[in-house]
Amino acid sequence: MRIGVYFCRCGGIISEKIREEAVRAGLAAVAADLHVAAFDFLCSEEGKGFLAQDLREHGVERVVIGACSPREHESTFRRVLTGAGLNPFLLQMANVREQIAWVTDGEGEATAKAVRYLRAAVRRVSLHQPLLKKEIAVCPEVLVIGGGPAGLKAALTIAQAGRKAIVVEKSPIIGGLPVRYEELFPTLECGPCMLEPVLDEVLHGEAAANIELLTLAEVTGLKGFYGNFTATIRRRPRYVDGTACIGCLQCAEACPASAANPFNYGLSERKAISVPFDGALPNVPFIEPGLCLHLSGEECRACREACPLEGTIRLDEGEELLELQAGAVVVATGAGLYDSRAIPGLGHGILPGVHTAAEFERLLAANGPTGGELAIGAGEGPGTVAIVHCVGSLDPAHREYCSGICCQVAFKFNQLIRKKVPGTRIVHLFREIVVAGKEDSFLYHQARQDEDTVFCRYPEIGALGIRLEDGRMVIEIRHQGGTETIAADLVVLCPAVVPAEGSGELASLLETPLDRWGFFEEMHGRVDPVQSKVKGIYLAGSCQGPMDIRQAMGQGLAAAGAILSRLVPGRRLELPPITAVVAADRCSGCGVCQGLCPFKAMTFDPERRVAAVSEVLCQGCGTCVAACPAGAITGNHFTDAAITAEIEALLS
Amino acid sequence: MANKPQLSIYWAASCGGCEIAILNLHERLLDLDAAFDLVFCPCLLDTKKKDIEALPDRSIALTLVNGALRTGENREMARLLRRKSQLLIGFGACAHQGGIPALANLDPAGPLPAIYLEGPTTPNPARTLPLPETTVPEGTLQLPPFLGRVAPLAEEVAVDYFIPGCPPEPEQVWKALDPVIQGKPLPPLGSALGAGRSAVCAECGRRKREKKISRFHRTWEIVPDPEQCLLDQGLVCMGPATRDGCGALCPQVSMPCTGCYGPPEGVADQGAAMVAALGSILDIGPITGLSPEEIAARIDEVLGSLPDAAGTFYKYSLAGSLLKGRLP
Repeated sequence: MRIGVYFCRCGGIISEKIREEAVRAGLAAVAADLHVAAFDFLCSEEGKGFLAQDLREHGVERVVIGACSPREHESTFRRVLTGAGLNPFLLQMANVREQIAWVTDGEGEATAKAVRYLRAAVRRVSLHQPLLKKEIAVCPEVLVIGGGPAGLKAALTIAQAGRKAIVVEKSPIIGGLPVRYEELFPTLECGPCMLEPVLDEVLHGEAAANIELLTLAEVTGLKGFYGNFTATIRRRPRYVDGTACIGCLQCAEACPASAANPFNYGLSERKAISVPFDGALPNVPFIEPGLCLHLSGEECRACREACPLEGTIRLDEGEELLELQAGAVVVATGAGLYDSRAIPGLGHGILPGVHTAAEFERLLAANGPTGGELAIGAGEGPGTVAIVHCVGSLDPAHREYCSGICCQVAFKFNQLIRKKVPGTRIVHLFREIVVAGKEDSFLYHQARQDEDTVFCRYPEIGALGIRLEDGRMVIEIRHQGGTETIAADLVVLCPAVVPAEGSGELASLLETPLDRWGFFEEMHGRVDPVQSKVKGIYLAGSCQGPMDIRQAMGQGLAAAGAILSRLVPGRRLELPPITAVVAADRCSGCGVCQGLCPFKAMTFDPERRVAAVSEVLCQGCGTCVAACPAGAITGNHFTDAAITAEIEALLS
Repeated sequence: MANKPQLSIYWAASCGGCEIAILNLHERLLDLDAAFDLVFCPCLLDTKKKDIEALPDRSIALTLVNGALRTGENREMARLLRRKSQLLIGFGACAHQGGIPALANLDPAGPLPAIYLEGPTTPNPARTLPLPETTVPEGTLQLPPFLGRVAPLAEEVAVDYFIPGCPPEPEQVWKALDPVIQGKPLPPLGSALGAGRSAVCAECGRRKREKKISRFHRTWEIVPDPEQCLLDQGLVCMGPATRDGCGALCPQVSMPCTGCYGPPEGVADQGAAMVAALGSILDIGPITGLSPEEIAARIDEVLGSLPDAAGTFYKYSLAGSLLKGRLP
């Protein structure tokens, strides 16, 4: 076997530290049939041309390149090998630049070290196996879980590219949390007005035909792998035919049953058949089965009788189980708020004047429980609103992190309260103020300049106590030096942003890991922020951490972009051949490797009682290879034999 | 009778169990006797070293050597028998990987101080120790000296095949010897005879599931479920890292495998393979967000329930391991 060793001088960067002639001499006896050559810049066009020609001319069968880090140019040189008719995996790079020339003192030591590196590479490459890339067909459709801003943006982008997106939304409406907010920071834009065009695009726009929207639906199973997922979806009945309904809501008027409306956080009532709030989309009422008298076995058909379009209300509708194919999945399930009842001193859920930011949003909204009317004070002059920032944030006992959006929300409230009830005194109780971003300090400055707005820093959330005294709330702030008290008519809590309810169940169903706080974890928080740890499952929006609408939309776009660029109809999925391979005759079926794979690539064949690796999912990380106590799993391109030979040559 | 091929059986540092394993061939012993003329076997015959020395080189058709190399005598006999034999088979775990005697490598001081000086029932005020040579009025007495380190047979002489096990199972012994007797083609030199290529779990009928171990148990601490994999129940069963061929006798009766058949085919270090496997399935709870120190403390807590790591993971393979039992 003829092994070619190519020493790159890197224009002197390598050769001024490592003596070329000594390297040649040092390699002399390492293999029987060795061809050694050197070049100034092997990565240059000229250098690659030289390499390709030299490989052919000298009939080189295996290649060692002593140059820079393989991270920089391994793929470059693999392509040269392919061009020269060699299998690209018959290459081994020795990093003599970063690991030797740049960091080793003295020419002698550097040269001796380079000889060892190159000898090790020669030994290793002689044991390399040619590897072939494989290809499989893919399903180009995309499953989007969650119909909030991020999910809808992703679905819309995919649909606009002429591709099919299936949106699975748990609730009866789309738009996520922001459609419940009257005005949005940082510019106090009308929330529904801003989002409605997006929702309309999804429902009726040019690309709407490419979007299959499943409301009241949940993913209950996902099997398969990138390019070929099969999802099971459970769809609860709406009891109203969405295509026939004109949204007149005569049914809701006629309905005799009602209960607290969870979309308004229980601050108002709703009928058993209703829309969550005015303007909710799709504009089709739904029946809450637990409330409906008919569905509870009584003889009521009030809604059906009131409906002007016969057959639209279908009280006999049942649950559906759907099975859908998709090549990729976008998780966009959003976030929730930290339960402020976990901090009992704040009185949330006990004192009627204490509301969370989410509840307060509904109190401000024209389509909310009060029609947007805000009552502050008992009519004797202007009242006081206390806005508590950092509820459960920046606190190791609750959530260590800053959610980054609550200050903006609080200062938005400042403006809105001022507009609705002029003269109101507003107190901001905060631990830290965070308003980063080019547009984001506007509301803060407004609040700071406002005469009737006061800022008060509190040491920690446990130092706050809220109690009811003569019909007003009294907030006690226990500072180190003494206790301060503030009377308020209304208290608004801005809790930390936390993972949405059910994130854990969804994560275990998708087998995608969550971070320490329960948010979906990215492949890499900075360089790969929309890819989950599982190939083909992407993340968008606040399911991966607190974020605002702009960021969520950006994430949705990014996830769609990543999918559109990688999962292309007609293009086959190329499988890199550096994967783990199970030797079935050596596998004892002990089960050690089961459950280790971070990419869901490892399975067990119960009939043959042996482990099996999916070459589609395997990323070649080697976790199972190292774990296998029977030596039955081999890492392609990283075989025990090759690595041992490399180490032995390095240490000999 | 003189025309029969010759057989020799030698014991180096061993317990005699391998001879019992041969005895356990039962009726097959008659076949063995019909096939060979037993010329040397310190356990059974009175032939001496000088008798072997007198034989022409390669005149013994088959030699089975059991035991590890512990003393100068072991080494000398191994070399002599290699020279005199056509086929030399390492018989049993000690010849193969050092076996239990090789655990002595963990004690660099050697056994003599513990036996002759520190033993509470051995009064030895003169601090007398056995010596390789002792002069008495009648002449000089010689004792074979300890080698610096207990070694497997293959470290000293070329071993053609090995039959693993402590001791090897009689059925497997016969499976190994029968082709030799029949003159059938043998596998490539260096292979294991009378054993599989996989691990003990392949022969163990217990139910295996995805493994997560949050605490180890010793055999007397729990009554294991009779159906479930012992390792899944926290008993350190070496089955996954041990060559098959024994029929999984121990785990089938709720005794965890201790690893006597040595590493599976292609595994260089049995103990390291098991440690890597356990390291992969150790359950220390969720670690996201924990500091390296907290993670290390959790690992230590789980490992605290595992006494005698060397004796557990290298019970039979210390001398044959990558480190060969060297201590820092």
